[in-house]
Amino acid sequence: MPAFPALRADGLIKNYGSVRALRGVDLEVKRGEIFGFLGPNGAGKTTTIRCMLDLIRPSGGLIRVLGLDPQADPLAVRAQVGYLPGELNLESNMTVSEALSYFAQLRGDRVDRLYMSQLAEHLALDIDNSIKNLSRGNKQKVGLVQALMARPHLLLLDEPTSGLDPLMQQVVYRLLQEACSNGATVFFSSHIISEVEAIAGRVAIIREGRIVQEASPGQLVEMAMRRVSVRFREPVDPSPLGRVEGVSVLSHADNQVKLQVAGTMDGLIKALALLPVQDLETERPSLEEIFLAYYAGGDREADIYAH
Amino acid sequence: MRTEFRHTLLRRLRGQIVGWSIGLVLYSLMLVAIFPTVSQMEDLERFLAAYPEEMLGFFEMLTEIHTPVGYLDTYFFNYMPLIIGIFVVGIGTKLLVADEERGVLDLILAHPVSRTGLYLGRVLAFIAAIGVILMVCWLSWTVPARQAGMDLSWLAFLRPFIPLFVLLLCFGALGLVLSLVLPAARLASMVTGALLVANYLLRGLANLDDRLATMIQYTPMHYYQGATAVDGLNWGWLAALGLVTTVLIVAGWVLFQRREIRVGGEHSWSLTDVFRLLRRS
Repeated sequence: MPAFPALRADGLIKNYGSVRALRGVDLEVKRGEIFGFLGPNGAGKTTTIRCMLDLIRPSGGLIRVLGLDPQADPLAVRAQVGYLPGELNLESNMTVSEALSYFAQLRGDRVDRLYMSQLAEHLALDIDNSIKNLSRGNKQKVGLVQALMARPHLLLLDEPTSGLDPLMQQVVYRLLQEACSNGATVFFSSHIISEVEAIAGRVAIIREGRIVQEASPGQLVEMAMRRVSVRFREPVDPSPLGRVEGVSVLSHADNQVKLQVAGTMDGLIKALALLPVQDLETERPSLEEIFLAYYAGGDREADIYAH
Repeated sequence: MRTEFRHTLLRRLRGQIVGWSIGLVLYSLMLVAIFPTVSQMEDLERFLAAYPEEMLGFFEMLTEIHTPVGYLDTYFFNYMPLIIGIFVVGIGTKLLVADEERGVLDLILAHPVSRTGLYLGRVLAFIAAIGVILMVCWLSWTVPARQAGMDLSWLAFLRPFIPLFVLLLCFGALGLVLSLVLPAARLASMVTGALLVANYLLRGLANLDDRLATMIQYTPMHYYQGATAVDGLNWGWLAALGLVTTVLIVAGWVLFQRREIRVGGEHSWSLTDVFRLLRRS
């Protein structure tokens, strides 16, 4: 396997006039991994993907796709990439089969037609239907087939399961995992956290044109602070607990103390051993809570959950 | 490039080529059928003398209406830059930008097709579409011509279609360039269409007012021969029109190379954009 990563962005900047869409995106996606790209609307997900395909040109920074510069060698990049746009629109005066043939011809007919039919079959897509009669979900299936059918080395998918029912979403996850096990790299943007948890090996969260976190879904949860609730047999002074490294007291009422713990629990457990503990509960925020903190409140709230 | 050429010609423009061809064939056949009646009109000179002088000036060859060349010019080649021009301007302005506004271009350009290949494929299909329509028109004049008493060879019939073809290409290319400069294809269609009509009127009015005669020299229609090309082509005029068309097509290519492809929808200009453009110019 070549040494270079599937995707690399260093300080990627994109300005639209006075609007700063990307403010220095740093990203590295390894070959053969499924990488989730999360962020709220307008965070810069689509802009980042479109820079990778030379549909728009960065205002600054560096971007490499499969070791190639998309601005210098766009054809070589696109020949190895399957792309699904976030807002998929297709020419309406064709059948599905004709549209897929057209996309295959744009690839110089280097498409396995049998595999194309199999993909359509997996997704329950009738290729004899006219595009203009397709529902949004079925159009999305056409988009997925055209992205996958050339067995590209890299899949850039902007909201791949948008408009699909839960059963079809499962089929798409399976197809992406299959593509990945055959050596392809999958880079997809999504709003759906369960989707990211289900298939992504690593995740980046983008907000206001910057990557604010990059880790595996499991690591993100690990990195989050625990919330600990302790009930004592009798009233206690919680101040020794607040002096333990990484522990802060959130509230104290009657016999109950609520704490926030960063890092290991060791210090807290040793401190609690000296007190008359009746009950102890510990919880971590869910991945969804972590993302929502990044999405909604900015760095300050995100800091509450992760360190 | 070949895929885009074929797809544009046979998919995107097919309906319009067929529709316009049918309409123009019927119109041409009707004109050919009427020619014997017009050429044998009695008291034609008295009839023409009753026309206002301005009308005779505007339609230069109206006084020759009883001859094949005069008839062709007055009833076909005089109007056709305007009539087929509407089709050509519509296609030219939508050739690239309409797909961008519909959000289709994004996915096409994500495939291994170069911008140059896509541009050339579509422009060549556009040229071929105009060529097919004019070819069909030419056949519908030249095949029944002898039966109608129009004693012109097939080559003589073909000649005036050549400057018409180049003039139409010129306005189509102008529409294409304007679509890449202005914020929306609709606006580009409106502006190019207005320029086409203005140029047509100016050409007619320049025959009536000497002050306009200088101005018309700087417009494409001045170099359009009309049916007088039956007797021979003005190669200098053709080359001038061809050169302007080529420059416009190259300008369109440069603009498309540099273009940031939008996800979809029409662009709009804010006052800041307008001031920026004014400052640049």
